[in-house]
Amino acid sequence: MPTAFVDILTDNFGEFSSGFWVTVRLVVVAFAIAMVVGTLIGAFRVAPNKWLQRAGGLYVEFFRNIPLLVLLILLFYGLRDKNGPGIPITGFVAGVLGLGLYTAAYIAEALRSGVFSVSKGQIEASLSLGFSYTETMRRIILPQAFRTVISPIGSLIIAMIKNSAVIGVALALDDLLKVGRTIQSRNFQTFETFFWAGVGYLILTGLVTVVIRQLENRYAIKR
Amino acid sequence: MTLAFFDWFSENNNGRYMLEGFATNLEIALIAIVFAFIVGLGLALLRLSRNRIVSYAAGIWIDVFRNLPLILLVIFLALLLPESWRDFWTDNVPGWAPEAFESGLILGAFMALILYNSAVLAEIMRAGILSLAKGQGEAASALGMTYGQSLRFVILPQGLRRMVPALVSQLITLNKDTTLVSLIAIQEVVRRGRIVNANSGNPFTGSETEAPYLEVFIFIGILFVAVNYALSRLSRRLEIRERKRTGTTVEQVKGLEDQVAVEPA
Repeated sequence: MPTAFVDILTDNFGEFSSGFWVTVRLVVVAFAIAMVVGTLIGAFRVAPNKWLQRAGGLYVEFFRNIPLLVLLILLFYGLRDKNGPGIPITGFVAGVLGLGLYTAAYIAEALRSGVFSVSKGQIEASLSLGFSYTETMRRIILPQAFRTVISPIGSLIIAMIKNSAVIGVALALDDLLKVGRTIQSRNFQTFETFFWAGVGYLILTGLVTVVIRQLENRYAIKR
Repeated sequence: MTLAFFDWFSENNNGRYMLEGFATNLEIALIAIVFAFIVGLGLALLRLSRNRIVSYAAGIWIDVFRNLPLILLVIFLALLLPESWRDFWTDNVPGWAPEAFESGLILGAFMALILYNSAVLAEIMRAGILSLAKGQGEAASALGMTYGQSLRFVILPQGLRRMVPALVSQLITLNKDTTLVSLIAIQEVVRRGRIVNANSGNPFTGSETEAPYLEVFIFIGILFVAVNYALSRLSRRLEIRERKRTGTTVEQVKGLEDQVAVEPA
């Protein structure tokens, strides 16, 4: 006798919610990594030094074009391989590192286009007023750049939530999708179980969409 | 144990085995993008329909499938696929199809890839169509064209042209996403990479030297980076050409990672 639709959720609520919070933790930590690394690479991309620009470009092209799954396998199985480096990295660390470094490339590109969206006249004006390069960046360009990139970064957070689902299945970490998979393999009620896991993801992406829209209305500069 | 660099590659035909796997990825991506384009165009037209209910329903459909993780759809549909459909496919798969397509689960993989990507493409197309000046549609109806005619002769030819670069960058994303089907045991390059790893160093099935994970997967990574980099250059070229031709900017679409880098003109 198959269990009713809602019962699938209530019977397994503990597991679902622990998986949900693992997904949230993955996304939050990976986002922190992505912002730090992405800002750094973005700074490389707009630096006055040609070699730094190239290094930044190389990073972006590599991490934007490699499949996330391949990156995760490289970081987890590659580093753990006893014939290789043999570093006992955990699934969570490899997961957030992979997702963070991957998204950092997109963050860097978003920031770069944000910096370029500030008109050249402002930079010239600031330099002729005697601001140094770093001062111009910090006081004139970046405050405006961050306001133009609110919505692209919002899209990236949503992409991160979706991409985080790869981590659980690939690295055997009990996130929302993996938990759903485990529950399904017990009750064989595929539709009901995946429906509730899907709802979990839609709650997260929906929340982020709403928050970003609020921020956009308040701060964003429309160009 | 000897650990010569990239020794595994020349042994047991491993190199060819992997490259064939990679070709499967590209084939899956190409087939999926063609179908996703057709379905996506239908969805975009429904979304732009003047019937409120139709438009609303299409909007919900698009938003749901755009915001679900693709991997969830892949696993879900692979598990949901009726046994009979899988058997039907395995019995009737054409002889010229690549080896990986013999698995019945490939149907689930294609359904997931098309569901997700058609929703994403529908949103790109909608933005492309809406980015046309309103005057175009008005002029068409003033000339006596019906709604269908104005779509066919005025709106779509221009709107679709504008989304060619976005379509190519979606192909890049899709190309990367084809690796996800390895998780439902379809023999594409990631799956084969793991098989190469498992078999080598095994005295019964494989060679004496073990293939280090790092080497195998760096090789796979480079394959993807090379193809996708070429595609991204192509997309950039097309975009610049289009911009020069029409003197417009490409519309930014929310929720797409690859649309983020579109620079303001």
